[in-house]
Amino acid sequence: KAGELDSKFTRTWGIHTHEGHLQGAAGTMSEPSRDARPIPRGSRACRRLFGPVDSEQLQRDCDALMASCVQEACDRWNFDFVTETPLEGDFAWERVWSLDLPKPYLPSAPRRAQDSLGRSKRSSSSPALLQGTAQEDHVDLSLSCTLVPRSPEQPEGSPGGPSTSQGRKRRQTSMTDFYHSKRRLIFSKRRP
Amino acid sequence: MAMELLCCEMDRVRRAVPDGNLLHDERVLQNLLTIEERYLPQCSYFKCVQKDIQPFMRRMVATWMLEVCEEQKCEEEVFPLAMNYLDRFLAGVPTPKTHLQLLGAVCMFLASKLKETIPLTAEKLCIYTDNSIKPQELLEWELVVLGKLKWNLAAVTPHDFIEPILRRLPQDNEKLPLIRKHAQTFIALCATDFKFAMYPPSMIATGSVGAAVCGLQQDEEVSSLTADALVEMLAKITNTDVDCLKACQEQIEEVLISNLQQFQEQGDGSKEEEEVVDQASTPTDVRDIDL
Repeated sequence: KAGELDSKFTRTWGIHTHEGHLQGAAGTMSEPSRDARPIPRGSRACRRLFGPVDSEQLQRDCDALMASCVQEACDRWNFDFVTETPLEGDFAWERVWSLDLPKPYLPSAPRRAQDSLGRSKRSSSSPALLQGTAQEDHVDLSLSCTLVPRSPEQPEGSPGGPSTSQGRKRRQTSMTDFYHSKRRLIFSKRRP
Repeated sequence: MAMELLCCEMDRVRRAVPDGNLLHDERVLQNLLTIEERYLPQCSYFKCVQKDIQPFMRRMVATWMLEVCEEQKCEEEVFPLAMNYLDRFLAGVPTPKTHLQLLGAVCMFLASKLKETIPLTAEKLCIYTDNSIKPQELLEWELVVLGKLKWNLAAVTPHDFIEPILRRLPQDNEKLPLIRKHAQTFIALCATDFKFAMYPPSMIATGSVGAAVCGLQQDEEVSSLTADALVEMLAKITNTDVDCLKACQEQIEEVLISNLQQFQEQGDGSKEEEEVVDQASTPTDVRDIDL
């Protein structure tokens, strides 16, 4: 039973631990043997509301929207998250070594291999943040960024962003720092 | 002894007991009131963003989502939270109507994972769309929705205010479960109606509790409070303007009545076309409410 509880725990909290890929997607982990909430036979709730769905259009729109998310992040952080390259802008990026990340935060190859739903695409979606030399139970590489003063008067162009004073280094030393930063990194959008 | 252990393990839903320290602490309520506006949709999107999607379509998808949540016995918060995600997404992204059901499924998927011990599975949600979408599409769109919501999933919903409000009302403890149940039903009803989408959750919660208390007091003649005194007391609890609150409560009662009427018409009239029935279908819990 302990195993089952474990797996429930993982599934429930997958959303927090695997932010990049959301492996917590409930259907993807091993299911408990029985479904506590089966769909009743002939359920009226099983219906399509707006006619046929065009899978190709769905895919095109999905790609376009994901691209716009990446572009927003790119503009916000002057960092190309696809090619993992720093760009010109307010932030100076540098590699950081020895950031002790526990194993659950790594994209683990075996789990990806088991994935029947083509999730490998997702797992590679943020190479900048989770690439590196995986040791026994730690990964050692991440990125840190420094806010570079561009002009004497730094315009506050990014409300909601880090309020780092000029040139002060923001080294990501703890788990929370790392994930907090990462969340903003990829999906931050300016508040109106 | 052994039986007890077994029962614990079989219990599907594990819940923490209500934490009196949190519920009574003034700071908790104040913080909820401070941050709730952050999670409102940024605009009335039928006017300024959507071209294909009409208000009745939101109602259709909302009704479907509520049916799924009820059939799956989801936690009460799942449906309003999912509607919050849907509204926030639609406020930013022009969407064709053919994607709307997929979006609804994605939003339930996310809300369920955030709130439930055993969340809805992608496969199950796809079956509920009559297999018009595939699990893989659901998972891909999950990331899209997360990105557009900036991963801000822990939105404040009207449910967050129910317990803090009830704890501050001078009501008999025996009545509380029924008031709570009715208030939750009103909240679900509000979530199906776009008119409430831009209202702060605290106002919807306060109005729902008000409507629930008033509705129940009509049955029994033991009202300790007049309707006006009740509204004023409620308004004070959540710092809501008294007139706004009265208007909100009236709107909630109107929505309930129109839903009940639709339900009765549905029952009386001959079988109409499936689509018409779908639009008019009533949240099932409302049937339990006596006016």
